[in-house]
Amino acid sequence: MSTSSDETTSPGEAPPPTPPPAPGDRIKLVAALIGLVGAALFVLAAVAVRAEGNDSSGSQTGDSETWDGTAIAPALARPDFTLTDTSGRPYDFAAETRGKLTVLFFGYTNCPDVCPPHMAILDSALDTPGMPKATVVFVTTDPDRDTPERLRSWLDNFNADFVGLTGTPEQIAQAERAAHVAGSMVIPAENGDSDDYTVGHAAQMITYTPDDLAHVVYPFGVRREDWTHDLPQLLERWGDAP
Amino acid sequence: MALLLVGYLWICRERPDRHQRWFFIGGWALLWASTDWPLGTLGAGYLATAHMTQYVLYTMAAAPLLMLGIPEWTLRRGLSRLRAYRAVRILARPLVAGLIFNVVLLVTHAPITVDALRTSQLGSFALDVTWLASALLLWLPVCGPLDELKPSYPVRCVYLFLAAGLVPMVPGGFLTFASTPLYSVYELAPRIGGFDALDDQQAAGAIMKIGNLPLLWAVLGGMFVRWANQERGPSPTPNVLGKKTPS
Repeated sequence: MSTSSDETTSPGEAPPPTPPPAPGDRIKLVAALIGLVGAALFVLAAVAVRAEGNDSSGSQTGDSETWDGTAIAPALARPDFTLTDTSGRPYDFAAETRGKLTVLFFGYTNCPDVCPPHMAILDSALDTPGMPKATVVFVTTDPDRDTPERLRSWLDNFNADFVGLTGTPEQIAQAERAAHVAGSMVIPAENGDSDDYTVGHAAQMITYTPDDLAHVVYPFGVRREDWTHDLPQLLERWGDAP
Repeated sequence: MALLLVGYLWICRERPDRHQRWFFIGGWALLWASTDWPLGTLGAGYLATAHMTQYVLYTMAAAPLLMLGIPEWTLRRGLSRLRAYRAVRILARPLVAGLIFNVVLLVTHAPITVDALRTSQLGSFALDVTWLASALLLWLPVCGPLDELKPSYPVRCVYLFLAAGLVPMVPGGFLTFASTPLYSVYELAPRIGGFDALDDQQAAGAIMKIGNLPLLWAVLGGMFVRWANQERGPSPTPNVLGKKTPS
């Protein structure tokens, strides 16, 4: 019956006896079960708190609204720049998007990590029933590799209505300055391959409301539920054209 | 992984059993296939479906095979050396094992846990080890080497159906019918093959709900047949009084 007999068991011997659980074991068992249920409840509570946090936390603009994006003050004016769209026509950003809910993003189609999920999440959010219509403008920061055809093909993976813009490096740098985002820069590949470079670029999506100002920006990491929370509120708050 | 296999073969060299060895090697191979590239890599940060496929393979395929591959004398010797027999006996009770398995399932699939652990190698490793340990415990009363830990066939059938079949459908349903992606680690990952994050999550939920069913029902069927055979019993033989009693 004792545990020591187990220790001397050698291969081929009969199975050790099976002692009934002692009262102490039962207490441990109950404690373990309570611990497990407690752990499960803790996780559920944490999930609930997190979900609540997603709804109620966020940045504020000084008004009563809270945003899942990052509020900026003072608000940025809709920038004025002209680039070339994927069909080769000039695209005057300020004139084409004036008075419309607009999302502006600088990136490139070879981006390995930020641009594809950022665009996919925005697209899936805009596809959600009840979401307002928005004009999405993607400006390439890699005009050498992002030909209009490649840009169009890449954007069509997300949404055929997304606008793609390109231009000379100088024109793109001017657009970045006008939008008040950090300038993009080429980062050479470690292996020295001249075609295998990456491009550092601003990772936030800037949302202009119909008042032609950007009150909130969306850095990489915002999720579909953040967009679906904010976009209707943005229109409700700043939906009137200036 | 190599150490696990070498350790097993070395320990079992004393009394090799061909069938058990192949069971263990099969379980080990599935464990490796679920952990290594591509499934392990995809599950660790790209696709919720890969994460869930890993989970189902770990818990419904690798764990029972590993359990079938462990010789009785090895487990008895190991448990006595660790003085863990009594604890394992308690943990292997169907109610306890089923509860632990499902608490682990819920905790390790909660968004907060997945998002926190999947972003690091150590966290992913902790998830894998937890899954495997809980699954070994789940299968111990069903196909473990210690007969005294196994309840009757009907109890085993009910236990397995509830613990591994019915309860996992609840979180699986949450994933399948959620209107937004729940795991930020998979939502923010670069998409693989144009697979939308929500579609990916719904597929993962479906895998959790029904991915285990083929094996589960096969095992339940097998146990039911054994139970029926046991109930039928051997052909009765007359005793000295002329009455027929089971031999």
